[in-house]
Amino acid sequence: MATMPTFFRRTQKPAGARPRLERDPYCLRALPQEDVFFYCKKIDNSRLVREPDPKSGGACWSAIGAAAIVLALLTGVLAPSVAGTLAGYKLESLKAEERRLLDERRTLELREAELLSPERLEKLAERQNLVTPKSGQVVRLDGNKPSGAVAMVK
Amino acid sequence: MVERRLIWLAGVVLLWGAAIFSKLITLQVLHHRQYADMARARQELTIDIPAPRGSIFDRAGAPLAMSVPTESVHINPLKVPDLRVASEILSLVLRMDRVELYGRMKNAYDNHRGYLVVKKKIPFEEAQSLRNMRLDWIDIDDESQRHYPNGSLAAHILGGVDFEERGNGGIEKALDAELRGIPGRERLLTDVKRRGIDALLSTEPRPGASLTLTIDERLQFVAERELAAQVAAKNARSGSVVVMDPQNGDILALASFPTYDPNLPPHEGEDPEARANHAISVPFEPGSVFKVITLSAALETTRLTPASMIDCGRGAITLFGRTIHEAHGGYGVIPMADVLKHSSNVGAIRIGMQVGQEHMYEYVRRFGFGQKTGVSLPGESRGRLRPLKIWGKTSLASIAMGQEVSVTTMQLAQAACVVANGGLLVRPRLVLKRGNEKVPAAAPVRVVNPETAITMRQMMEGVVLPGGTGWPEARLEGYSVGGKTGSAQIFDFATKHYTHSYNGSFMGFAPMNNPAIVVVVTLNGTHGTGGFGGRAAAPVFHAVAQEALRVLDVPKDLPDAPPTTVAANPPAAADDDVAIADFGDGPNVLEDGEEEEQGVGGGGSGVWSGSARQSASALRADLLVPDFRGKSMRAVLAEAAARGLTVLPDGSGVARVQYPPAGSTYHQGERIRVRFAR
Repeated sequence: MATMPTFFRRTQKPAGARPRLERDPYCLRALPQEDVFFYCKKIDNSRLVREPDPKSGGACWSAIGAAAIVLALLTGVLAPSVAGTLAGYKLESLKAEERRLLDERRTLELREAELLSPERLEKLAERQNLVTPKSGQVVRLDGNKPSGAVAMVK
Repeated sequence: MVERRLIWLAGVVLLWGAAIFSKLITLQVLHHRQYADMARARQELTIDIPAPRGSIFDRAGAPLAMSVPTESVHINPLKVPDLRVASEILSLVLRMDRVELYGRMKNAYDNHRGYLVVKKKIPFEEAQSLRNMRLDWIDIDDESQRHYPNGSLAAHILGGVDFEERGNGGIEKALDAELRGIPGRERLLTDVKRRGIDALLSTEPRPGASLTLTIDERLQFVAERELAAQVAAKNARSGSVVVMDPQNGDILALASFPTYDPNLPPHEGEDPEARANHAISVPFEPGSVFKVITLSAALETTRLTPASMIDCGRGAITLFGRTIHEAHGGYGVIPMADVLKHSSNVGAIRIGMQVGQEHMYEYVRRFGFGQKTGVSLPGESRGRLRPLKIWGKTSLASIAMGQEVSVTTMQLAQAACVVANGGLLVRPRLVLKRGNEKVPAAAPVRVVNPETAITMRQMMEGVVLPGGTGWPEARLEGYSVGGKTGSAQIFDFATKHYTHSYNGSFMGFAPMNNPAIVVVVTLNGTHGTGGFGGRAAAPVFHAVAQEALRVLDVPKDLPDAPPTTVAANPPAAADDDVAIADFGDGPNVLEDGEEEEQGVGGGGSGVWSGSARQSASALRADLLVPDFRGKSMRAVLAEAAARGLTVLPDGSGVARVQYPPAGSTYHQGERIRVRFAR
């Protein structure tokens, strides 16, 4: 059996192992089974300083402004159409409501006429013990003579 | 190398662009119409906007007929997923028999029918319930249904409509073109849910014109009620009443019995007579009411006056070898006014003979007989009046007392208006307004002189005074009345003989000065003495005229208490103005076809009934007019009542002037005019 020290030493570098070299950052990844190493070009832009471009800012704002104008124009073009469509919905719904109310009114007028029919009123009068007034029983309190009266018997 | 790749890439892009462009050309140019039509079919909806049928109102604006919207349900049986479930749903909502409905649906499905009407004219709530279910195999259509809210009131005037709301009788038929509206159409742009967005094209519906009739609903009801009651009481077959305004011809009421309910369609077993308008379509021999025409012609064309003495031959007259008798008793020589009052047939014949054939024919035509009145109702009969050239030897005698001529109740009313309004023939008018426009009345035509009309009125007043054939049934409380009774035997076409059934008529107007109404009543098929005009028709006149004068607020011209009879003389016996005519061989005028094709007929002898038997002493004046001058109205009326006299008071205060003067002979039925002043 392996001794404890040997077990713990398993994680240590084995003796005689070659020390890993410090990797060159510009060295590209080695090809397998190859001893050929490629290097990429060293470009050091750390000394370069980007200067602000006044025109690019203006162009950006111009683009934003143009987009906003286009959006506004589109809205202006489409909005009446949308409003018209919504108004059309409302209008048709109101027309249908108008027709329904007119129909309902006719139905109610019919019902009123049925309730006021002379036959029905006569039956109601009989139930209430009411009779048709005889001529002379009706007295006009306003004192007006009926039109065409030439002479009246008092 | 690179350039070649770029060129290849450009070529591919170009080809792709060309392909897209050509597709665009195909869609938007070559197939433009096809796709536009498809879009339109999906996006647009064409709907018919129904136009309501015009309403009909009475003169006061009460609706007599109106259309209300309703809906009908129909389904596509081929789209129904489950017929049993569908029939259960529909029967539950529409309150129908499920088994029967399922049978119909199954039958339609088996026959590959894509349309089945489930129920028509459903209430709004049921339609809404079905809509809320949003089932694509159910369709609901808008329709219209005609209603007559007063039931059978004015049924013969209004008529009715069929299932397509086309008039099939009465005013509905006569003025159908005006009542029908013109439906509109709307093309609607819809969204995906078929909700309307915009109306692309619309034609507004034109509703039918509303009509205002001259009919008064209240008078119409009273006329129909009284007519129905009297027809039942007298066991008559049918009857009719016409109430007119004599000044302008307005028809205030037109009743016909039997009647029907226009809300109900014709059904099997229904009495076909119920749908006939007896007032305008069924002519009859008028009998004694026609004597009004005879006497009017006599006043116009001869020297006869109401006081002219006419020899009634003690109840018999011989003409061309044939002897004609009065039915009951007979009269001697009596004034012409009494010929009308007692309805003497022999007297009428004598008067007619003095008028002559030509004048008689002329005046019968002038009074509107033998031609249509022009009332706005279909099916009007012009009656029958034989052309003069085919009159027989006794035609003049027959026509003088109302035989050998057939008339309608409407024609009698029109003729009565001539006497009532001072001699003008006014055309009966039924339509007062079309929409908001008044319909002008036709210009009247002068028939007789005003003096003749006034004289006739006075003579006709005698008919409803004690001793007259219209007393006491036709008298009115508070109003003076003039009229004429008629009782004509009915001709049996099967046996070619006159029967003992009568057409009892009464033609009258009130009040005497400036008559406000004319009422003509006819009962057909009455029996016995109770079926004569004075007993059968006059009570209806009394009820209808009394109500009409009250409704129209016509000022009274008499005291309310009815005048008492003259105690010394018994009142007239039963109304005996029966015109019995059995001419035997000749054809009856009612059998005539076209007047021009008939030969001589209708002549021969006959037996007429006369008026009531009265003793000669009853006709003699045996009272002197008392002196009322200086007395108060109360005292005058009390004294007159005690003596059985009729007094017409005028003014207030103390009696100053009277006519006839005090001490003069009082004639039975005469009225004493007394003027009072302070």
